[in-house]
Amino acid sequence: MTGRDFDPTPPPLPETAPPAPQVETDVWQPLPVRARTLATISALVGTLIPLAIALGVGLIAADRQSLSFAIAGALLLVIPGWAVFIARRRWLRTRWRIDDDGFGVRRGHLWRSDTRVPGNRVQHLDVRRGPLERAFGLATLVVHTAGTRNSALALSGLDFEEAERLRDTLAARAARDDDHDDA
Amino acid sequence: MTTPEPAAPEALLPEDHERRLHPGSWLFVLLQNLRQFIVPLLVLLFAGGRRDDGYPWWLPLIGVGALVVVSVWQYLTFRYRIDDDRLIVRSGLFERSVRQIPYSRIHNVAIHQNLLHQLMGVAEVRLESAGGTKPEAQMRVLRMREALALEQLIRDRGQGQAAVPTADGAAAATEPAGITLLALSSWEIVKLGLISNRGMVVVAGAVALSFQALPERAMGRWLVDYGREAFGYASGYATTWLAKGVAIAGVLAFALLLIRAFSVLLALLRYHGFRLQRQGRRLTVERGLLSRSRSSVPRRRIQAWTMREGVLHRLFARRTLEIDTASARTGDGQGNANAQRGLDALAPIASPATCDAIVHDIALLRSWPPARWEPLHPRAWLRLMLGDVFVTAGLCAALAWFFQWWGALGLLWLPWSMFVARRHADRAGYAVDTAFVAVREGWWKRTWRFAEIGKLQAVELRQSPLDRRFGMASVWFDTAGANPLSTPLRLRFLPLAEAERVHATLAGEIARRPLRW
Repeated sequence: MTGRDFDPTPPPLPETAPPAPQVETDVWQPLPVRARTLATISALVGTLIPLAIALGVGLIAADRQSLSFAIAGALLLVIPGWAVFIARRRWLRTRWRIDDDGFGVRRGHLWRSDTRVPGNRVQHLDVRRGPLERAFGLATLVVHTAGTRNSALALSGLDFEEAERLRDTLAARAARDDDHDDA
Repeated sequence: MTTPEPAAPEALLPEDHERRLHPGSWLFVLLQNLRQFIVPLLVLLFAGGRRDDGYPWWLPLIGVGALVVVSVWQYLTFRYRIDDDRLIVRSGLFERSVRQIPYSRIHNVAIHQNLLHQLMGVAEVRLESAGGTKPEAQMRVLRMREALALEQLIRDRGQGQAAVPTADGAAAATEPAGITLLALSSWEIVKLGLISNRGMVVVAGAVALSFQALPERAMGRWLVDYGREAFGYASGYATTWLAKGVAIAGVLAFALLLIRAFSVLLALLRYHGFRLQRQGRRLTVERGLLSRSRSSVPRRRIQAWTMREGVLHRLFARRTLEIDTASARTGDGQGNANAQRGLDALAPIASPATCDAIVHDIALLRSWPPARWEPLHPRAWLRLMLGDVFVTAGLCAALAWFFQWWGALGLLWLPWSMFVARRHADRAGYAVDTAFVAVREGWWKRTWRFAEIGKLQAVELRQSPLDRRFGMASVWFDTAGANPLSTPLRLRFLPLAEAERVHATLAGEIARRPLRW
């Protein structure tokens, strides 16, 4: 690494939990630990099942020697382990932030990105929850703008209540700016 | 469309009652509908209709008759009313719909006239708002004078200060007459045809179509037969390798010439009589030889600008200036998108000075072109070249496999690629102002892309592992209505500190400017 890094790890988290109804501003906030659990589970399920099927078919078709069993076992360990590692690192590297300017999301370890959507550019907002996310009390927040490539910024693994508070805060801002605009 | 604009649109379009389209409009609706069915109908008539099949020859006519009924019915059910601040359109056969379109929401007014329209003195009008794939309202067809009056009415009333009912209607023409910013002569359009390579598309399309449409692979056989015959002639007359080479080169040159000729023809058809005008805050573009089209966009609907200059452009000392608007992009959804694309090229071809002048005048960017382009990261050229290095290495390995040491000659590509990368990196640059963000790229083919800061929607800072090794990052900007295939508005290969600064400044700057589009 010859160049400088832009380090997505935020300053240390505040000790005291913020009062519930307010969304804390100006801090890069992590996703809840439950999101990591969910990410681990989905990475495991997402790789183990297809892998097991493929290996099972392969083993039935091929000759059943101890070597092929050993390779299959190793694959069954390595690939899901790697997927879980990636998923957990992605969880660790994903941070979000809301401030006077708008909403920001940082993510990625190798390929890093830092996306900012100014509050007055928000067109509409979705909070989505799949069955798994509901079971873990999580939600996905989708911020839509009028843009083309980044027209929908989706952040999954947010705490459900936090996601709703974020949505309301951003929506209130968009409405406020709209009033200014049309006046 | 050389008709002078009427002074008082109110006189032509009274507000008090609902209006119908032009009485002949069912004919055009019918033609439009027929176009979708023309292929099956023809197939039924000629190909499928062997007499012994027992198909009565008049069977297709029933279909045509049904279409006539539908068209007349559509004409009878389509009504529109001009209100103070909105247009109200009622339409529908079974599903009745009432649509209210505020003038201030209309981004683009497109008037289209093909040959038949011109003969009957009518025109097709489309009103487009932001987003979506279909126009808000499509009036097929209005009398030409009414269409122009409607356009002017929307221009006058859609300026934000809704509805300016002046006391005496005739004095409503407070707008100064349009200022012509660019008018293309035929010679300019020939140049445009030579530069653009649309003819290639036509030839390729024609070949593909003939392969598909002609029965029994006639096209393929024809090609093979004549190809063989021609080759026979060639090998008969030209016995030496040199002569063969000359013959092949001749054929190629002829093909290229043909394609360019097609391109010129297409350019003439499309851009004949091109005129860009500004009336107050609205831009109007007229163009077309056989089918004339005229579209009109408020200045502030322009989302981003692109200026292009290829090698051929440079030969003629010309550039192309294009804009993104947020209105629907896919034509009328019936396949003739090409003919009816809205206003995309403000200046299909113009000298650099004219392009800059147009930007000055329309975008109100006082500081365009920027006095200083900030350079990229000092080692950007190395980063640009890396991709080429990997590809060359792979190719050389493959070549060496087949030709042993001769394959190493492929490495000669590297100096050239380095030269190109250095030129590119030297020329590329960006400029961030209080008013706009601009980026220029390319050396062979140069592009400039810029947008007002108020039109940006989101900012993103990106860094790939390779970028990190070089200490670079890139900043991507998102604008509305950008063509996904065109160059994005992004500043690549900036020094990291610089990129972070631009990113932070602009995120704050955008948040301070209300979205107006």
